[in-house]
Amino acid sequence: MGARRRSRRLAAGLVATGLVFAAAACSGGSESVGGDPNALEVWTRSNPDDAATYDRVFAAFTKKTGIRVDYQPVVNFDQQLQTRASTKDLPDVMINDTALMGSYQSQGLLKPITPDSIAGHDQITAKSWSSTVGIDGKHYGIPYSRQAQTLMIRTDWLRKLGLEAPTTWQEMLAVAKAFATRDPDGDGRADTYGMAVPGSAQNGYAAWWSSSFLWQGGAKIVEPAGGGRYKPAMDSAAAVNTVTWMKDHLFCGDNAVTQPGALTAVTGTATNFRDGNAGMYLTGPYNITTFDQTLGKDTYEVVPAPAGPAGGDVLAEGENVYFGAKTGKAKQEQALAAFLISPEGQRIAMTGENQPVVRIPVNSTLDAATVRDDPRWSVVQKAYEDASQQFPNAVDFAPIKQDTADALNSIFTYCGGDVRSQLKELNETLAGDLKDQDLLK
Amino acid sequence: MTATVTSPAARGGRRPTKKSLVPWLFLAPGLLLALVFKFWPMAKGAWLSFYDVRPFLGDKWTGLDNYTRVLTDHRFQDAIGHTLVLGIGQSLGAIVLGFVLALLLEGQARSLKIVRTAVFLPAVTATAVVGELWRLMYYPTSDGLINSGLDFLGLGPVQFLDNPDLALWSTMAMGIWIWAPYNMVIIMAGLAGVDRSLYEAAAMDGVSLWQRLRHVTLPAIRPAVGIVLTLAAIRGLRVFTEVYVLTGGGPAGSTEVWMTRAYTLGFTRNDIGGASAASVVLLCVTLLLTVTVNYFRTRGDAR
Repeated sequence: MGARRRSRRLAAGLVATGLVFAAAACSGGSESVGGDPNALEVWTRSNPDDAATYDRVFAAFTKKTGIRVDYQPVVNFDQQLQTRASTKDLPDVMINDTALMGSYQSQGLLKPITPDSIAGHDQITAKSWSSTVGIDGKHYGIPYSRQAQTLMIRTDWLRKLGLEAPTTWQEMLAVAKAFATRDPDGDGRADTYGMAVPGSAQNGYAAWWSSSFLWQGGAKIVEPAGGGRYKPAMDSAAAVNTVTWMKDHLFCGDNAVTQPGALTAVTGTATNFRDGNAGMYLTGPYNITTFDQTLGKDTYEVVPAPAGPAGGDVLAEGENVYFGAKTGKAKQEQALAAFLISPEGQRIAMTGENQPVVRIPVNSTLDAATVRDDPRWSVVQKAYEDASQQFPNAVDFAPIKQDTADALNSIFTYCGGDVRSQLKELNETLAGDLKDQDLLK
Repeated sequence: MTATVTSPAARGGRRPTKKSLVPWLFLAPGLLLALVFKFWPMAKGAWLSFYDVRPFLGDKWTGLDNYTRVLTDHRFQDAIGHTLVLGIGQSLGAIVLGFVLALLLEGQARSLKIVRTAVFLPAVTATAVVGELWRLMYYPTSDGLINSGLDFLGLGPVQFLDNPDLALWSTMAMGIWIWAPYNMVIIMAGLAGVDRSLYEAAAMDGVSLWQRLRHVTLPAIRPAVGIVLTLAAIRGLRVFTEVYVLTGGGPAGSTEVWMTRAYTLGFTRNDIGGASAASVVLLCVTLLLTVTVNYFRTRGDAR
C-alpha cells in the first residue's frame, strides 16, 4: 500500500517536472540563424502559393552568393512581427507592403538605407525610390514590386450588348446599368450586377477601393503641408463632389450597379466578378492569374480605370524590401537586396507556375508585358508609370485609412445623410490622427 | 515544486502534510497550463493598458490615458450600446428558445434523441462556419435561402446585413440560434429532476398548462436557470466571433461591439495599449455582472 502510494507520487512528480520543462522550452523557442553570419532570416507576407515563388528566388540567390536564406512565409505578418519586436530580435530582411513603411519606421523597426549601397540602385526609377523616403528624409525601404489598379471588364458582355469599354465615369455608369438590366449573360434572369465592390470598413477596404475615385475627382485624403508635416483634406470641394457622386450613383442610385451586399464585402467576399455575375472590377493585377483560371482569358480584358473630372489616377501599391533594425548583417542584406532588384531576381519572381510576387518590376530595364509575354501587363505598367498615386508612405497610414473607411462606409450606407458635414467630421478625426503622430501642420 | 512534494512532510500543526499536497499535485498540470496560457496573458494585458505599447522602442508609461481615450471615444460608446442590446437580446432569446426546445424535446423516445442531437449541432459547430452559413442564408437577393422563402410568399428581398437598422437584429438571430441548444441541454437536465408526482397532483387539481409551467416547472428548474443566467452574464458581453464573421462591425458601424472595436484598435490601428484598456474594462464589467447574478441567485436559493 505504502509502496504503491510512493510510486504514484513519484509519477505525479515526474509529470509536473516534465510540464515545467516543456513550458520553459516553449518560451525559449525561435532560435534560428541568429548566430550564423552567412545566413539571413527573411520574412514575407505570403500564402503557400506566393511562397513557392519566393523559394525559387532565394534558391537562386544562395546558389549565386553562397549566403544561406532561412525563409519564413508569414500570413499574419504584423502580429508575428510585434511578437518578435518584443524580444528585440527582428528578422534580417522583410518584404511587405509599401503602405506599412511609416508605421514600421515610427516603431523603430527599420534600418535606414543609403540607395548607393545597393548594387544596381540606378536601375530603379527616381519615382520608385521617392516612395521609400521616411518622415526624416532618409530611405527606409528598397522598392521591390509595384502595381496599380486597373479595370477588369467582361468583353463577352460588352460584345453582346454592343457596348465599348468605358473611359469616363459617366460611361462606366452607363455600362454598369446596362450590365445590371439588359441580361448580359442571356439566362433570362435579372442576376447580373454592374461592378463588384469591396466596400466594407473592415481593414479599411472602403478607403482602399475608393482612393482611386478620390484622386480621379481631384481629392486627397491628407496632403503635405511643408516641413514634413501634413494636413487632412477630406473637406475640400473636390472631396465633397467626388464622395457625393459615388454615393448618389454607385450606392444610393439604381439597384444592381454594384453587387448586393457591397457595403459589407471585403475582397475575400466580393467575388462576384470571379463568379461571373458582376461585369466590372477595379482591382490590382494579382487577380489576373485567378481570373484566367476561373473566367478564362478570352472572356475579360484589362483596361485603364475610367477617368473622373480630374484625370485617371489610380491607387499604386507594392512591396518594399525592409532591413530589420540592429541585425548587424548589413553586407549580406545589401547583397540580397541587390539580387532581388536585379533583372535576374525580378525575372524569376515574375514568372513560373505559381503566383508572381513581382507584379510590375521596379528594375527599369525590364518590361512586364515582355517578360510575361502578355500584353495585358503593359496596361498595368502604363497605369503605374503615368497615372498613379500612392498613399503617403512616410505617415503611419493605418489609422488614417481606417477612419476614412469608417466614414465612407457610413456615408454610402445612410443615403439620406449630409455628405458635407460627414466629411467635415472625418476631417477632424484625421486631424486627430495626424496630431497623434506629431505630423499635423 | 517536485522537491517540496517528495520531501518528507512534517506531521501535525499547520504545516502542509503529504496528504494536503497530493490534490495540488494532481491539479498542477491544469493550473500550470492556466497560468501560462490564461493568467499570465491576462496580467500582462492589464499591465499594458497603462502604457503606450511600443514593442521595439520600449513601452512608455501613460497612466490612465488609454482608459480616458477609450471611454471618451464616441465610436466606443456606440459599440457599448450595441454590445448591451446584442448581449441582453441574445442571452434572453437563447434562454427562452432553449426553454421551449427543452419542453418540446424532453423524453426518452428514440426519435426525440435524434431530433435533440440535430438541434444541438449548432452549439458544437465552429462559429466561423456558422457565420459563413448564415451569410449565405441572409444573402440579399432571392438567391439567398431566407429571401427565396420570402420571395415565395411575395415578400422581400430583405437586406438583412446591409440595412444598418436590421443588421444588429440579424446578428442577434444567429446568436440565439447558436446558444439556444446549449441552454436547452442544461434546462433539460433540470427538467429531468422535476418530481413527477407534482405534475400528477397538478393534473388532478385541473390546472391549465400555463399554471403548471408557472407553479411547478419553473420553480423546480430554478437552479438550472441560475446556471444558464450566469453563463449568459459571462459570455453575453464578450461577443466577438459572431459579429466579426457576419458583418465585421458594418455597415456604418451599426453592429460594432466592444470586442470588435478593441480588435480594430489593437490590430488595425496598432494601439495595443488602448485595446488592452478596453479589454480590462470589459473584464471588470463582466466580473461585476457575474457577481451580481450570483448574488441574486444565492439569495433566491436561500429564500
